[in-house]
Amino acid sequence: MSCEHHGHDNLFLPREARILHTHRPTASEKHFTLQLADGAPLEFAPGQILEVGVMGYGEIPIGLASSPTRTGTFDIVVRTVGRVSTAINEKEVGDSLWIRGPLGHGFDLDSLKGHDVLIVAGGIGLCPTRSLIQYIEDRRDEFGRFLLFYGARDPLQLLFTEDRLHWRASGDVEYFETVDRADASWTGNVGVITTLFKKVQLLPETRVVICGPPIMFEFVIKELDRLGIVRENIFVDLERRMKCGVGKCGHCQINDKYCCIDGPVFTFSEIQELEEAI
Amino acid sequence: MSAFFIEGRDFELFVDAVIGARRVVGPVAKRTKFVYAELESAEELRLDFDVTILPPKKVFFPPSQDLVRFSDGVVGGCIDPVETVLLGVHFYDVKGIDMTDFLFRERNEDWNYLAQREATTIVASSIQSISPRAFWSSVGAEVEPQGHDAFLTKVNGGYLFETRTPKGEALLGYGSFREATDAEVGAAALANAAAMKQCPERLDYPSEAIAEKVRDSFGDVAMWDELAKDCFSCGSCNTVCPTCYCFDVRDAWNLDQASGTRTRYWDACLTREFATVTMAGGGTENFREHHSARFRHRFMRKAAYLNEKLGGPACTGCGRCSQACTADIADPVRVITHIMEVSS
Amino acid sequence: MAKPTLAFFDFASCEGCQIEFTNYGDAATLELLKHVDVVEFREAMTETTGGRIDIALVEGSFTREADRARLQDIRHRARVVIAYGACACTGGINALKNHQDDFAEYVYGEHATMPHLESGTARPISAAIKVDYEVPGCPISKDELLLVLSNLLHGTEHVTPPYPVCVECKRRETVCRYDEGDHCMGQVARAGCGAPCPADGIPCEACRGFVDDANLTALEKVLMERAGFSQKRAVGKSRMFTANLRS
Repeated sequence: MSCEHHGHDNLFLPREARILHTHRPTASEKHFTLQLADGAPLEFAPGQILEVGVMGYGEIPIGLASSPTRTGTFDIVVRTVGRVSTAINEKEVGDSLWIRGPLGHGFDLDSLKGHDVLIVAGGIGLCPTRSLIQYIEDRRDEFGRFLLFYGARDPLQLLFTEDRLHWRASGDVEYFETVDRADASWTGNVGVITTLFKKVQLLPETRVVICGPPIMFEFVIKELDRLGIVRENIFVDLERRMKCGVGKCGHCQINDKYCCIDGPVFTFSEIQELEEAI
Repeated sequence: MSAFFIEGRDFELFVDAVIGARRVVGPVAKRTKFVYAELESAEELRLDFDVTILPPKKVFFPPSQDLVRFSDGVVGGCIDPVETVLLGVHFYDVKGIDMTDFLFRERNEDWNYLAQREATTIVASSIQSISPRAFWSSVGAEVEPQGHDAFLTKVNGGYLFETRTPKGEALLGYGSFREATDAEVGAAALANAAAMKQCPERLDYPSEAIAEKVRDSFGDVAMWDELAKDCFSCGSCNTVCPTCYCFDVRDAWNLDQASGTRTRYWDACLTREFATVTMAGGGTENFREHHSARFRHRFMRKAAYLNEKLGGPACTGCGRCSQACTADIADPVRVITHIMEVSS
Repeated sequence: MAKPTLAFFDFASCEGCQIEFTNYGDAATLELLKHVDVVEFREAMTETTGGRIDIALVEGSFTREADRARLQDIRHRARVVIAYGACACTGGINALKNHQDDFAEYVYGEHATMPHLESGTARPISAAIKVDYEVPGCPISKDELLLVLSNLLHGTEHVTPPYPVCVECKRRETVCRYDEGDHCMGQVARAGCGAPCPADGIPCEACRGFVDDANLTALEKVLMERAGFSQKRAVGKSRMFTANLRS
């Protein structure tokens, strides 16, 4: 079974990645720390995705959840929803996953650098943005003010407990969190994520990154319009059925764009004219 | 390159000689229709075909194709091209191959397609019979067919064989070719021009005007609903299209339940689940839920979205979709003409 | 690890799906038997079982109240119950009688009242017990059943293709029945069978049921306009395998 006939790469040939560490942040999510089996570093940019699979079960697109500035290993968070994610989440330390990537077009770091940055993450949308959060923390002096809004449905759905403790105490990030519905233990902010906007003053030049369920976009954009933030400076991370991840199979098309190679990160000005985007 | 002539009686000998040396795929009869199939002898070759059920892209991009094989923790690719002569391709299908060549090469080169493509010599052939739904004489007329290595035209009791590339010239050694006369070259040009005039359907608008009007019609939901009213979402129009290249990827285990394959299958954006995703929240969302949204997407892809990349529409005028649609609503000539005439 | 046990059971049916299972050929069957232990299979062996079963394959429709206890016993003993074949999944063609009163006389004439012919409404197996998986078709596609079993052995579920039979006909380059003046229901019929019937020149009768959102209005129109059906025949045509799913 030769993998590189005629010296050409096979776009679909996955690489083996060993599971070094796992953690269950919620009942349905599993956080993996991985390393390529050949020991090579995985080079990627925040916001890029991997196709992650188990042979025999298939592959799914997953955003990288750690920063390339933290070398050697990389993280993903997988929610059990279907056939492939179930098979992935049954894997334990010492097992392998098969990955392709990094794929796609991540956050445009050049247009973020030197500016205030606000990240608005809803639910599992925190995972792909964690890559950017860590990146900014590690290169803190290349950015202006750094704010992070994180919202979840209820306290049990909140991810990255350790990270959140760290962000709360950190002088590097102004961190705000909220839940749609509180429980008895919750003493923090209650309400949808847009309620966090009244807690801060933002300059119109702020660069904003949004990742979360489609319903959230609409409301966040309204707030940003009110603040006078232009849509060229708003970056959204979109979710589609990326199957091949290399711009061929057609499943992730949004009008004439392929989410997997034209995105998954788009500026809002790029997609607002696309009827099928949100 | 140059023009050669081979007598009709020598042509079969030539084809048999090529079959003896390489895998040869050409049009053959299947019940009342034609299909591309591997030839066992020249007798099977039907260069008088009107159109084949599936376009010749299947030689490079088969309906199902293994991409990766796995066994005992070892994972490998399976790109394994076979030297092939694809003999008897009408010019509109050459244009289709040009488009899939571009699309599988752009940005990320897909050698699961390109390796077999590079291992194939394409001999185009003149149109001797004309499909009743063809409109190849008018659609995308600004785009010239490129990716063929030789062109055969039936003329004067034999065939004019015009070589276009060294790969095409390499076939000359298999038959009794002589240099063609100016008269034969002229007769072939006349025969090919005559075929263009007999094309039964016409799309009488320039590609750019069509692209603009079709794109602008996106929001005319009532019109698309009406056009798609009888759509079965059966994907036949996609599946027979020479420029459709979407696919699904699925894994399966072999009988030993340990080894297996990751395989791609042709997919169709008209089918209901094509744009359905499982959301992170666990539910599903279909980004083109209504059949008219999927029907519209196909026309956007064929007439507007890809034009900039391809230099013209992603349509060759082969008329396969018009024929394959049992409800007869897929014909691009009718749909686009309707949009040009009525859409505001 | 012990191999999972597999047992076949039949109710109102022709047992053609069991026969289909015997058509794999020696090599494939022997390979499959390395992974499962067949403990009951009326068409192929004499032994039966009264014990626990990992996978029960149930064929045929549920037509007599007396069968309920036997089905419940199977459910009780089996870890996974697979209804396989059209009769088991939807009632199949047995359900045609659900819309007629004189079926017994029509079929059996003077013998219509013989006691062993007594049966009630034809229903799917799921009307009596919980079914974990359904494998449609008349008969089943043996290749699909193999995929179902393979996925079960790996702790996951086979996904039946959501698209219609036309996709599979086109992929294998079958001449469309309509192009030969015939009729067909492949436009609305659920695929996964590999479309063997049209390839043999036989129209698709939608034995696997319909795809979701099947456009039946358009089907009737096409059956009339292209296959020359009367309206009555066009409307009734699609009922052969879907009688139980419709009023």
